[in-house]
Amino acid sequence: MSMTRAEKRQERRNDDLMEKSGNFENPFEKKGKFSKYSRVPLYLLTFVMIAPYYWMITSSFKSVKELQKVPPTLIPEKWILGNYFDTNYDPTLFQQDVLQGLFQRFTKVNFGFFRFFINSTFITITITLLTLLIGSLAAYVVAKHRFKAKRAIYLVIIGSMMIPWQVGLIPGFLLVDDLGWLNTYMAYIIPALPKAFIVFFLVQYLASIPDELIEAARIDGAREWTIYFRIVLPLLKPAMIAMMIFTAIGEWNNFLWPLIITQSQDMANLPVALALLKNSGSGNIGTQGVIMAAALLVSLPTIILYFLTQRHFIRGIALSGIK
Amino acid sequence: MKATLAKPNQSYTVTKKKGFYKFSDSGLSTYLMLAPFVILFLIWAVYPVLSSLRLSFMRYNAICDPDLSPCGSVGFGNYTYLIMQDSRFHKALLNTSLYVVGAVVLGLLASLSLAIALQADTRANRILRVIFFLPSVTSGIAVVLVWGWVFRGDDIGLLNGFLSVLGIAPVEWLATPSLAIPILIFMSMWGGAGFGMVLFLAGLNAIPAMYYEAAVIDGANRRDRFRYITLPLLKPVMVYVVITGTIGAFQIFEGVYLLFPTSVGSIGGLKDMALMIVPYLYDMGFNRFRLGYASAVAWILFAIIFTISLINIKVTKSLEDLR
Repeated sequence: MSMTRAEKRQERRNDDLMEKSGNFENPFEKKGKFSKYSRVPLYLLTFVMIAPYYWMITSSFKSVKELQKVPPTLIPEKWILGNYFDTNYDPTLFQQDVLQGLFQRFTKVNFGFFRFFINSTFITITITLLTLLIGSLAAYVVAKHRFKAKRAIYLVIIGSMMIPWQVGLIPGFLLVDDLGWLNTYMAYIIPALPKAFIVFFLVQYLASIPDELIEAARIDGAREWTIYFRIVLPLLKPAMIAMMIFTAIGEWNNFLWPLIITQSQDMANLPVALALLKNSGSGNIGTQGVIMAAALLVSLPTIILYFLTQRHFIRGIALSGIK
Repeated sequence: MKATLAKPNQSYTVTKKKGFYKFSDSGLSTYLMLAPFVILFLIWAVYPVLSSLRLSFMRYNAICDPDLSPCGSVGFGNYTYLIMQDSRFHKALLNTSLYVVGAVVLGLLASLSLAIALQADTRANRILRVIFFLPSVTSGIAVVLVWGWVFRGDDIGLLNGFLSVLGIAPVEWLATPSLAIPILIFMSMWGGAGFGMVLFLAGLNAIPAMYYEAAVIDGANRRDRFRYITLPLLKPVMVYVVITGTIGAFQIFEGVYLLFPTSVGSIGGLKDMALMIVPYLYDMGFNRFRLGYASAVAWILFAIIFTISLINIKVTKSLEDLR
């Protein structure tokens, strides 16, 4: 799949053309009187967009005393790490201006707050890999095999996308309970695996891949599994990457299902842990710094993933949205 | 006339298909590849939906003790009670409708305006697009926790803190019934406008530049070009944004759950001012364990979403036929 440099350049040029089209400037048109200021509202909005992130970051480095100031300080007077880990904290003493740092909380849980990172990471990675594997296998079969009841099966899969997932919430919970899976990784992972949208998306994508490629391999005597791993998977790569990112971010941020199936702190994922943290000390303004520290740590991984994979990401949205 | 096309004694060898080749051209491998997805899908997607339909016609709780809390069929009882008598549910429906209309209409306007404002492919625009898209990948819980601080009722609340500089007394943002829905709409716009923007940008870029060039030659000004080229060609994207936006908005949960608890441990805030359908479902199902009743709520949610999507598609279709 390697392209020559010239081909790449041509592709980039095509992309540029695509992006510039529709943005045609009429050279004969006079610019409006206000055009100089027309972007001011946009910058005000940008400020509103950034403010919560700015606040999350700065206040996670403020001391308890500073957090109580009215009006609030815009820039921390003194940057401290106490909200993450306070070396002055002593559980045997009562100190007014010293709080348990984030990583000093959740003492009943092994590894404390770090445990939730382990939970979330393990759950997210497992679900993402397995869901894409079984989803792409099903999509390949639906798109490129001829077999009985194919249309009916596909119709049920697509039809299920019209039903809000909350409809199955209660029986899903009862089923997990009957299986004895409440408060286990199984309850996180297994029910999350069959994702109709992934099959739908990959079937659409496979439709644009000519059957001849697969037929040729079959005539050469390749087995179906070989065809899947050696031909279909490489062809699906762009679509799979987009779906991987979506699934991973969705699972990382998932809240309602984990909230229902976790019964003890040690099985919480990060969003549930955030909610626990909030409910444990929302009245006390000092804990706000700790909560912001946690919120920042929870948000960072998905934001970093987004920055790293931006191109795939935007292309994936465009693909899934327009077609 | 004598048929001379085929010699009568030449027989075509029809090999009888064996085993799984009776059902599929690729034999067993079709079913092996399909099985993981389909089995999980049947257990975790189809069964819960059917089971929830059954539950919605039952009085059902986790105990099902014939003396203490009997379970059993109630016919349409849950539905009639929900629709005719349950005033909390009516409040939830009303709140959700107001929220959905506000969030979808304003969200559509915001994302379209953003897409047009940020369409040109300049460095500044690229950065702004990333900023506006960030909330879509940030943990919803983390964001809600920041908003919780911004809208805190006492003078430590961020908004109140800044208002105090202007000499304005603190406002109980989250305890004022008339402000609950607007605040949730604002949060939804902050969180969702960037996603719509990306879809609209993809739509805008798909419009060929020559349409605009031709229009300019015909003397169309900027407004005409927007009205007669951009808007009509963006309609598929608009329909998509409205439908997915509506479905998403109906499922609001996290903001209500974290920002509007009640003193008795249920959800909805003061006088149920922010009670919505999914939080009500959660409250009925997992706070009170009225699982049958909660299932009926879920099916009403489905009915609403389904009807609105159908109407949406029908209306767009008929508008298209008009031209």
